[in-house]
Amino acid sequence: MNETVLRAEGVRKSYDGLPVLQGVSLEVGRGEVKVIIGPSGSGKSTFLRALALLEPVDAGEVYLEGEQVSGLKEKQLAAHRSEIGMVFQRFNLFQNMTALGNVMVALRDVRRVPRQEARARALEFLARVGLRDKAENYPEELSGGQQQRVAIARALVMRPKAMLFDEPTSALDVELVREVLDVMESLARDGMTMVVVSHELRFAHHVASSILMMDEGKIIEEAPPEQFFSAPSQERTKRFLALVE
Amino acid sequence: MVASFDTHLFWEVLRSEPYWRGALLAIALTCASLGAACLLGFPLALGRASRQPAVRFVVFLYSWFFRATPTLLLLIIVWDVIPQQFTVFTHNWFTPFLAAFIALSLNEAAYMAEIIRAGLLAVDPGQELAGRALGMRRWQILRRVVVPQAVRIVIPPTGNEFITLLKLTSLASVISVHELLTAANEQASISFSYREVYGAALVYYLVIVSVLMFLQSRLERRFTFRSRSRGRTAVGLAAAAHDAR
Repeated sequence: MNETVLRAEGVRKSYDGLPVLQGVSLEVGRGEVKVIIGPSGSGKSTFLRALALLEPVDAGEVYLEGEQVSGLKEKQLAAHRSEIGMVFQRFNLFQNMTALGNVMVALRDVRRVPRQEARARALEFLARVGLRDKAENYPEELSGGQQQRVAIARALVMRPKAMLFDEPTSALDVELVREVLDVMESLARDGMTMVVVSHELRFAHHVASSILMMDEGKIIEEAPPEQFFSAPSQERTKRFLALVE
Repeated sequence: MVASFDTHLFWEVLRSEPYWRGALLAIALTCASLGAACLLGFPLALGRASRQPAVRFVVFLYSWFFRATPTLLLLIIVWDVIPQQFTVFTHNWFTPFLAAFIALSLNEAAYMAEIIRAGLLAVDPGQELAGRALGMRRWQILRRVVVPQAVRIVIPPTGNEFITLLKLTSLASVISVHELLTAANEQASISFSYREVYGAALVYYLVIVSVLMFLQSRLERRFTFRSRSRGRTAVGLAAAAHDAR
């Protein structure tokens, strides 16, 4: 349980001289769920993209199961990216493919799985998010909640070592939020290692191993949910929670 | 006294061999040149966004030269100037049709490059981001995701280019390509019945462009990413809703 899956060390990043990440470190053990909250512009999304190896960083390292995976050549980076699942705020499903095509494509192109087997596995993961019957539908024909569940299946089918969620429900209509959170909760119960940027505090309360508060490019507080919500140590956290709740 | 329209002559020339041969030639020249222009325009479009300044410069030079040179002058250069310089081009294999094909392709590629570039840029960057997050390589993302979506965007302006090019083929008459308008001119100089002779030529152009428009709408539907049955129902529902109002 204590084995570290994902670790970031002193990650720094600036855009045009504007510091966005000012030395962010994080350690996620196997099966842990870390929820990151913080005001917009605090660097949450940038940090998550750095963990997903989508964003080159100016300083600091990312380790996946003890192996340094940041700062590598594009080819190795691509291989490691496939071991980290990423779910985006705006789903980013491939518009020119059916739900099934979306879940299959990386198995075929990245893992070189034969078509029949890729298809079977993709269907299995679509079933897991409750969308087996939408396999032949294109993203345009699905609700936001359904699209996000397909996006989760697309990441899961690669059997990632960790899953990252970048505000997965903030682009959804309120009545569609629940179905996505349910899928995420069941993943957490199954022992998936997760980092979630989200302001769904009820979800955080139920599911998180710990909650992190980010502000101005730094993690200013990390605590288990009970303590985080009842007795946050930082004034900034208190003020933020008051605004969100 | 105004002579009456000679319907018999009109049908005669409409069905005459020089006309349909000329029309076929015009179609063949247009399709071949547009095809080659797309093949050449694609790497040019990618080259414009290259990280290598030298590549970007070459692409700039290309588009500058071929957009600045009048098509008529370019035809003359390829047919008359180049063979004077390089004797290989004086052999039999270098036909007027081939010369026209080369000139029109080179010219059209400069315009297709712009159209393709705009199409590639119009695809949501989130699509590429999602592909990278799955560990797909750049060319895989291009082939599987970006290009199919760009095709839909590129079809309408390419249809316009087809029409422009079809009309430009008449310029090839200066290098003795016997296309449709050349045939009409020859008929006119024999019979002096301008209405019948040019009217028949006009019919050919109208028919060719009509067929193109039909094919274009078929192609657009082919690249609209919706499942067939659902697509029909959605249209039916929309129509029903409209009628109800």
